[in-house]
Amino acid sequence: MLYSLHNLKKVYGSRTVLDIDRLDILRGKVYTLIGPNGAGKTTLLKMLAFLDKPSSGKVSFSGSSVEYTEKKLFPLRRRVVLLDQNPIMFTGSVWSNIEFGLKVRNIPMSERRKLIHEALERVGMERFGGCNAADLSGGETKRVALARALVFRPEVLLCDEPTANVDNENQEKILKIIKTINREEKTSVLFSTHYLSQGQQLADHTLLLQNGVLSDLTGENIFRVVVVERGRTTLTCQLTGQLTLVLPSHVLPAQVDSTKLHIDPCGIRLHLNGDDRSDGCLVNGQITSLHQDNGGVRVCVDIGVTLVMVLPMGEYQMQRPSIGDTARLFIPHEAITSMQTKV
Amino acid sequence: MDLLFDSVQSALLLFMSFDAELFQIVLVSLKVSFAATLIASCFGIPGGFLIAYSSFAGKRFVLTCLNTLLALPTVVIGLVVYSFISRRGILGPLDLLYTQKAIVIGQVILIVPVVMTLIIAAISRIDNRYIMTALTLGAKRYQMALVVMKEARYGIYAAVIAAFGRVIAEVGISMMLGGNAKGFTRTMTTAMALEYDKGEFVLAVALGITLMTLAFAINLLFHFLQSRAKSNVI
Repeated sequence: MLYSLHNLKKVYGSRTVLDIDRLDILRGKVYTLIGPNGAGKTTLLKMLAFLDKPSSGKVSFSGSSVEYTEKKLFPLRRRVVLLDQNPIMFTGSVWSNIEFGLKVRNIPMSERRKLIHEALERVGMERFGGCNAADLSGGETKRVALARALVFRPEVLLCDEPTANVDNENQEKILKIIKTINREEKTSVLFSTHYLSQGQQLADHTLLLQNGVLSDLTGENIFRVVVVERGRTTLTCQLTGQLTLVLPSHVLPAQVDSTKLHIDPCGIRLHLNGDDRSDGCLVNGQITSLHQDNGGVRVCVDIGVTLVMVLPMGEYQMQRPSIGDTARLFIPHEAITSMQTKV
Repeated sequence: MDLLFDSVQSALLLFMSFDAELFQIVLVSLKVSFAATLIASCFGIPGGFLIAYSSFAGKRFVLTCLNTLLALPTVVIGLVVYSFISRRGILGPLDLLYTQKAIVIGQVILIVPVVMTLIIAAISRIDNRYIMTALTLGAKRYQMALVVMKEARYGIYAAVIAAFGRVIAEVGISMMLGGNAKGFTRTMTTAMALEYDKGEFVLAVALGITLMTLAFAINLLFHFLQSRAKSNVI
């Protein structure tokens, strides 16, 4: 067991920002922490990085109880690293920023040089070593911050919204790096995100934090379904009593007759006439809201329950759906995941 | 107007003739002011850092006291220090009165609050993420403090320069504790006051010009350091 948290509370004044009865985090796994703004994600990550102490409760790390004295925390901090949501670069070059963690550990110069080269290569920033860190773009800053965090090979990488405020290309690169270091170096990873779909691509386990409390997954596009009919290759699930979805039978193990499904908002498409794909479900609903979001448009559709889809901007401009329109949606099977195996 | 014009003209001639008395006075002023600034910085920079980053009961009171000390008149410091180092004072046997050391002591007392308050202001403005980042990357407390100092360096330079400006231009402490002894404790400001009393404006104006030139040169150096640091990558 990597971390074990018991009755952990963090209180600011009269406000409890974190209240966790019990949380166990396994070594070598990838965890995603999902929750809205103000849910306590950053507070929890800071505590796991030993940068903040709980108001009450007990934290164990690698089987030993954590004592909150500077002397005891210092060696623990050197095994864990936290990547901030908006990382800040120290004054100087990209190279000197990455070198910082090695310098404070008294790593010899020749070794430092080798490790920095490797770290820059890993994040695809080899040519940027001599650049002024202040001149980097948002995505580049995140990648350099990731290199700075990984250069001394920490046991645990904690990332606070690593893909927030970066373009799609950089998001993919960052997620790929996280996946690689977990697979190749067995680094335990815990990262927070707003996007359940993003978390599920990568994570072995998903944690949902709401108002400082760990909850069952009931977030966006998560629906409880009951299996009403199981065929040889398909199964029919009833969603909230009104809607049925026909899914391939492998989505749910044979003994499970009730579960939560997550539908990836980025996987759902507006169904066009003449599109006769059969590898998904068709549902009808009414558009209730439209929001611009991260280069796309979030469309909320009332299908008996509220289903959220994210349309790429190009598709939105071609289709021009409006609030109140009736929409026919295509939900591909690959966009549907059972929460049974993930949580 | 003629008086000022004539004085400036004579002062420039005095410069060009490399007047020994003028240079002696400037040298004493610089020596005393640099020593006071250096000592005050040694106490004020770490002191300001500690106050900015620690939380203790009475911190607000300490900050109020420091702010109040900014308005401390030099003659009050002169009187207090005099009472300690005069023959009858408890430090009388050290024979410090009317020496450059006495001026330095008084000036250090004058500018330690200046350095500390400006350092507290400079460090309090530093983004908390620098501290968090340094700690999570494995820095010890002193290494984290060095990171903060580096990021707050312009504020620190400004504090030191402001303190130097305060001591090189002060007259009360130098007069009361130094005694304005020619060749020993005569500084630019005390010499200017004396020359004014005598009705001799040439040396006073020459010293005034020197004082302003020095202030200008120091600020120029500060801006040079600032622009060089910004253009340098590492």
